[in-house]
Amino acid sequence: MEKMIELKNITKEFKVLNRREGLKGSFQDLFSRDYKIIRAVDDISLSVGQGEIVGFLGPNGAGKSTTIKMMTGVLEPTSGELMVNGRIPYKNRTANSQEIGVVFGQRSQLWWALPLIESFKLLKDIYQIPQKDYDDMMELYGGLVNFEEILHKPVRQMSLGQRTLSDILAAFLHNPKVVFLDEPTIGLDVAMKSKIRELILELNKQKNTTVILTTHDMGDVDALCERIVIIDKGKMLYDNDIRHLRQFFGSYRTLKIRPNEDMDVVEEHLEKELARMDVRISHDEEWISILINEEQIKVLNVLKKVQEKHEIRDMQLEEISTEDVIKKIYREGV
Amino acid sequence: MDVKKRGIAFYFKIYFKIITQDIKSRMSYRADFVISTLGMIATNIVGFAAFWLMFSKFPNINGWGYYEMLFLYGFSLISITPTQCLLDNNWNLRRYVFDGDFVKYCFRPINLFFYYESEVFDIKGLGQLAFGIGTICYSWHHLAIPVTFMAIVKLVVFLSTASLFMMAMQNAAAATCFWIENSFYILDLSLKLKDYAKYPVTIYNTVFRFLFTFLLPVAFIAYYPSLVILRPDEVPILSWLSPVIGVLFFYLSYKMWMRGASRYDGSGS
Amino acid sequence: MNRFKKYLALTRAGIIECINYRMSLAVMVFGNLLYLTLIYFVWKAIFASSGSDVVNGMTFESTMIYLVLATALFNFMEMYIVWEMGRDIQSGKIALNLIRPMEYRNYLFWSVSGSFVVNFVFTFIPTFIIVLLVTKGTIGLGINLVYFMIAVILAVVINYEIDFIVGTICLYTESIWGINIMKQAVVTLLSGATIPLAFFPDKLRTVIDYLPFRAIYDTPLTLLLSDGTDQKMILSKLLISLGWAVLMSVISRLFWKVSIKQVTVNGG
Repeated sequence: MEKMIELKNITKEFKVLNRREGLKGSFQDLFSRDYKIIRAVDDISLSVGQGEIVGFLGPNGAGKSTTIKMMTGVLEPTSGELMVNGRIPYKNRTANSQEIGVVFGQRSQLWWALPLIESFKLLKDIYQIPQKDYDDMMELYGGLVNFEEILHKPVRQMSLGQRTLSDILAAFLHNPKVVFLDEPTIGLDVAMKSKIRELILELNKQKNTTVILTTHDMGDVDALCERIVIIDKGKMLYDNDIRHLRQFFGSYRTLKIRPNEDMDVVEEHLEKELARMDVRISHDEEWISILINEEQIKVLNVLKKVQEKHEIRDMQLEEISTEDVIKKIYREGV
Repeated sequence: MDVKKRGIAFYFKIYFKIITQDIKSRMSYRADFVISTLGMIATNIVGFAAFWLMFSKFPNINGWGYYEMLFLYGFSLISITPTQCLLDNNWNLRRYVFDGDFVKYCFRPINLFFYYESEVFDIKGLGQLAFGIGTICYSWHHLAIPVTFMAIVKLVVFLSTASLFMMAMQNAAAATCFWIENSFYILDLSLKLKDYAKYPVTIYNTVFRFLFTFLLPVAFIAYYPSLVILRPDEVPILSWLSPVIGVLFFYLSYKMWMRGASRYDGSGS
Repeated sequence: MNRFKKYLALTRAGIIECINYRMSLAVMVFGNLLYLTLIYFVWKAIFASSGSDVVNGMTFESTMIYLVLATALFNFMEMYIVWEMGRDIQSGKIALNLIRPMEYRNYLFWSVSGSFVVNFVFTFIPTFIIVLLVTKGTIGLGINLVYFMIAVILAVVINYEIDFIVGTICLYTESIWGINIMKQAVVTLLSGATIPLAFFPDKLRTVIDYLPFRAIYDTPLTLLLSDGTDQKMILSKLLISLGWAVLMSVISRLFWKVSIKQVTVNGG
């Protein structure tokens, strides 16, 4: 497999002002300032081959976006070696841009007032996309999404989901070798999330495009990535395929229920009733949470068992959160 | 993909396409256009009223008569136009950088400064241009300067020169936001200084004359370039050199802008 | 009292925010001085060319004092309220502000009050001290300072209410820019911020006497430069300012109330 991205011991540091508190502190800051160095990305090495989809998973502020910004050439690493598609990105920002596509979460790069089709036409000129390639791409897009709904709509009038969709289509338009997606599903509803995941997967398959995406949503990783990289506090905690991770901590899901009766009482009962099943039960003000390892027991079985004795007013099913995964890795190692 | 080198023709084509689209979409906001134009007209009328008020009490300033001052005024109005029309997005730069939104401009395979500025074409600036042209014609007529082909050529050349200086000042002022948080006052100051471009630089003492000529080139926005037409017998060497200096200043401001953009760290996200 | 504390907290936050930007503060101070120097040279040249020392009852010195202080006042009162409101309205943030436990107009006023304080301390006071030193004794340091401060506070209120009225118009149109520059042009000229009202033709001055704008710069400065003995003049000027302040807040309050109702009904 051809190497598309190579990171060797990449570190990025920022200088930030240590502000003093309060009115008096602000006056002191006026005359003397105190800076500190923050290491946002700490010694990350990794290599990605062509056509891979790699998910960068981590909580907010973990250093995912900073890493992506270095790979796209916006930021220069403090130290380490970085190659994308045979180029050093920050040294050849313009040339690099021709062969990458980028979507930054909720910051649309499309022309705000223009209908999507006009944005596409402008991009066609800017990237010098040959007419035939452009037509082929449009045909492909037409088959993948409900095009008519958005094509003639100005971006400013679109919903967040439509905008993200449009931005992703725009990022793939010039058939780049790598596409970077920073939090592509943030703030979207479940239906839209799955629509976007399907789109990314399909484009990756059809065009053999390398896709790097950051997310703090386990669902994204589950649906899209063969391989995941977990970053926390700038450090790389994990880099392997998703099956390995699944094996390691099983496929956990949390069943949340809201009973009609008193929480404490129900929890107590459930502890007894579900004792033979390998689950962990806890509750907060609104929900009783049952953590289930699906490799050992089906969620539906648990639910059935619960329903036998208790009336359920409301329920939810949640993927294990990124924070839980990271906690587990810290506690138990990989 | 086979990518051709992007030359000047490429950029002109792209710019033309972007602004036609932009103007088309703006035309759908008719009320905004009408009110903005009215605002523009009001501002200019107030400007002229202030000018007229001054001159009704004071017949000349430092040996410059009413029509000569009017000419300088018109000259400064026209030379601001390109800044207003083409570089209006500079006013938003501070906010984009502060919020971290500037990052969205960084991923296109074309010149960053061009791409950023091309996003906004401020058509309202053309109203100012009309006022400026009217003022110059009116004062030109009253000053009885002969209308020759050479005079027109000089006017065009030196107006373009003057606008280079204005663009340079505004670029540099806007670019400070890459280094300084909340650089609004700098941009605001550069806009205020422009109001004083219409006075002859001879009213200042040596220190400030130097300052307004070489450091904050306000004197080049109207005074030096228009001497070529108003006082053809006493044109200082600086006036003749102003096109070259103008290009230099513009280039430096562009470099400063690009340098600032390259040290942009994308924070705010 | 508790209510007032809430407001002062906003002022305090505003002050902290302003002085956190060190360089921007330095530019503000330096820019103010540079700008004042420009005004000095321009008017020096104007008076030198006029051939007489007194024009419309104003000497070069009194013109300078007036203009320098007017500019300093202008710098500290320009709060860009119209921009602020326009942006809030366009981005829809206004809805958030409407459900705050504080009236929007109060919230906005007290949020910008911090920068009033900072600008007053960092631009107006230094300018005033310089003028005081340069003109040695022309400005009295007595009871006139008290009258001046009262007039300034009223001026701030009037200026804010004008901005708020103009900002309310942004509920009806998207054209913030156009409305704002129109307001700026009119207020700047008619308040005597750039050209002393003394130089205006008599007819125009009669008109201006019936408008609120002169209460913003002309009244405070006239009171500052007076010796404080003409009690009748002082009292009448302060009363007129007070009247305008009350009238303008009533108008802006009503206008806002009516407009916001209309907008919520139309769902705009």
